[in-house]
Amino acid sequence: MKIVRLTLLAAALTLPSFAVHAQGKQAPKDAVLYFVWPQNGATIKGGFWCRFGLRNMGVTHAGDDFQNSGHHHLLVDVNEPLDVNEPIPQDKNHIHFGAGQTEARLELAPGRHTLQLVLGDAKHYPFNPPLVSEKITVTIK
Amino acid sequence: MRDKIRDINSARNAKLPPRAGTPRRLAAIVAADISGYSRLMELDEEGTHVRVKRIQRDLVEPSITEHYGRLVKTTGDGFIAIFDSPVEAVRCGIVIQQNMAGRNTSLPKDHWIEYRIGINLGDVIIEEDDIYGDGVNLASRLENMADPGQLYISGGIYEQIKNKLVCGYESLGDRKVKNITDPVRVYRVLPDPAAVKSRKRRDTVLVLLISLIWLGIASGALWYWLPHSKLRIQTNQVSSEVPNVTQAPVAKQPSQLSQSSISPTIADQQARQQTQPLPSAAPAEKQAALQTPLATQTSAIREPEMNALRGGPFMMGSNDDPSEKPVHQVTIKPFAISRYPISVREWNECFAAKGCAFAATGKDDAPVTNVSWSDAKQFVAWLAGSTRKAYRLPTEAEWEHAARGGTQTKYWWGEEFQPGMANCKNCADTVVAEQPVKLGSFKPNPFGLYDMGGGVDQWVEDCWHKNYQGAPSDGSPWLDSDCTSHVIRSGSWKNDARYVRPANRDSYDTNVRYPTHGFRVALSP
Repeated sequence: MKIVRLTLLAAALTLPSFAVHAQGKQAPKDAVLYFVWPQNGATIKGGFWCRFGLRNMGVTHAGDDFQNSGHHHLLVDVNEPLDVNEPIPQDKNHIHFGAGQTEARLELAPGRHTLQLVLGDAKHYPFNPPLVSEKITVTIK
Repeated sequence: MRDKIRDINSARNAKLPPRAGTPRRLAAIVAADISGYSRLMELDEEGTHVRVKRIQRDLVEPSITEHYGRLVKTTGDGFIAIFDSPVEAVRCGIVIQQNMAGRNTSLPKDHWIEYRIGINLGDVIIEEDDIYGDGVNLASRLENMADPGQLYISGGIYEQIKNKLVCGYESLGDRKVKNITDPVRVYRVLPDPAAVKSRKRRDTVLVLLISLIWLGIASGALWYWLPHSKLRIQTNQVSSEVPNVTQAPVAKQPSQLSQSSISPTIADQQARQQTQPLPSAAPAEKQAALQTPLATQTSAIREPEMNALRGGPFMMGSNDDPSEKPVHQVTIKPFAISRYPISVREWNECFAAKGCAFAATGKDDAPVTNVSWSDAKQFVAWLAGSTRKAYRLPTEAEWEHAARGGTQTKYWWGEEFQPGMANCKNCADTVVAEQPVKLGSFKPNPFGLYDMGGGVDQWVEDCWHKNYQGAPSDGSPWLDSDCTSHVIRSGSWKNDARYVRPANRDSYDTNVRYPTHGFRVALSP
């Protein structure tokens, strides 16, 4: 009886967490998302090519639901925390690379900007825990 | 290395009688040149010369030696090297490219020295200070094809290295090369191997989509020619679902149609609205089911409600965002645009007729979402095919003209944002649980159009351009031969008030679906 009760309790505890993280796919533990370029603190004149690096996972087209794969999202000057239960927003600060791009030409206004990569799954949800790169700061002259 | 080659040559010369006096051998040929060299020289002749010399001395020559290659010759802006091993040749190319990328980072873009590199495997004639043969020409052609900072290899090289070198390869297909008879298979070497899979898949998706569009058009045509009795049955089924529809906001707004002369389409729509039963009028249902086919004898498909617009000149763009500049005058030809974004019901009729690729989820009277530009094109192709009317996506200029509703202010209702006017993030006091909300839940603009700003993002026909430099001024779509991203307008319920502005514009990948993206349709008279 006690076992049954414990099982029920365990089920009750795990179920809601499953419901909340219904989309949350797990990325491999050794997966690394990083900027090939630019480096943190770089000073850049004008437009530049931003290159994304992903280790131990594959880059796919959004909508393709393959194991251990996702597509890049670049967050420019985003300060709000990432909501793992919502698709990664799509606006001028959240740039999507659903065609499987691994680089992008950026033209940012002069000044300091933060850049961060977030890997999204087939439906643009972040992984859980989110697979994100270091948040870097660049200065545009 | 140079000695070694001489050895081979002399050995052959010693044993064999001299043929044409030219030793041949198979080699991996690396051809490289600096892109925009003359521009760089123009900028700073001496500085560029010194830098190029230094790069050749510090990077190019040591890299070639390190990979057991031989520098055959240097030209002003490039070099040719040969390698015994294709693997070493490609490695050397990658080292040079990566090093150059690193060297350039600290410099302004217009001072970048970027090599384009082509590598080919060929049987060549080797002389003391030069090499000859079409294998060399092909390496140069590959180099010419490559973008700055890129490394292109021929199929021959690829076959040798594909399982030996861990990097990504993107097939660019068979390319016709000047003065070389047979097409040559070309590969781009990518820094990240993971990038390849997706590119291949993207091509597959593209092919699939194109074939689906064709299928859509074909089935649309087929649909049209089907026996009429079948069409009638279909119509009855459709109209029996009518009680779910709430036509109330439309019925209240007939005056909105006075914007201009009413096209036959709209007259059609009105006739149909009159015959459609009210949600509560259950007995009228059967009667309507009989009448509706009469009212829509021209086609079996329930067409979107359209508002005809007179067109004319307007000022497109704004100074609020770099992408919206410059503000420029565009003259719009008369056209009609759907009063609402396309609904889930309308989309699913297309799916049921096998004109669209997937079944949309959500309430029937909510806007369809999660459609890519290609999906939207499928829908309009199906709609145009099955109605034999020139349905299409609106152009970007038409969309903005329609969204402005004859105004030139920041929002169609004025310069300041007003809560409750559009479905956007933090735009109302109450949070709506289920999004996107029903079509037509907010006030229409002066042209009688609903949800032009907020609600769902809306695809238009145009390719994405980062601003309006060079935009057409006649309201036609601004297209490129190959565009991977298209324009979305309106902003969605997940974007804030800035995105509701009629001038706001953004882009998204052509073939990618996203949960806030929908569309509306246009019709040429």
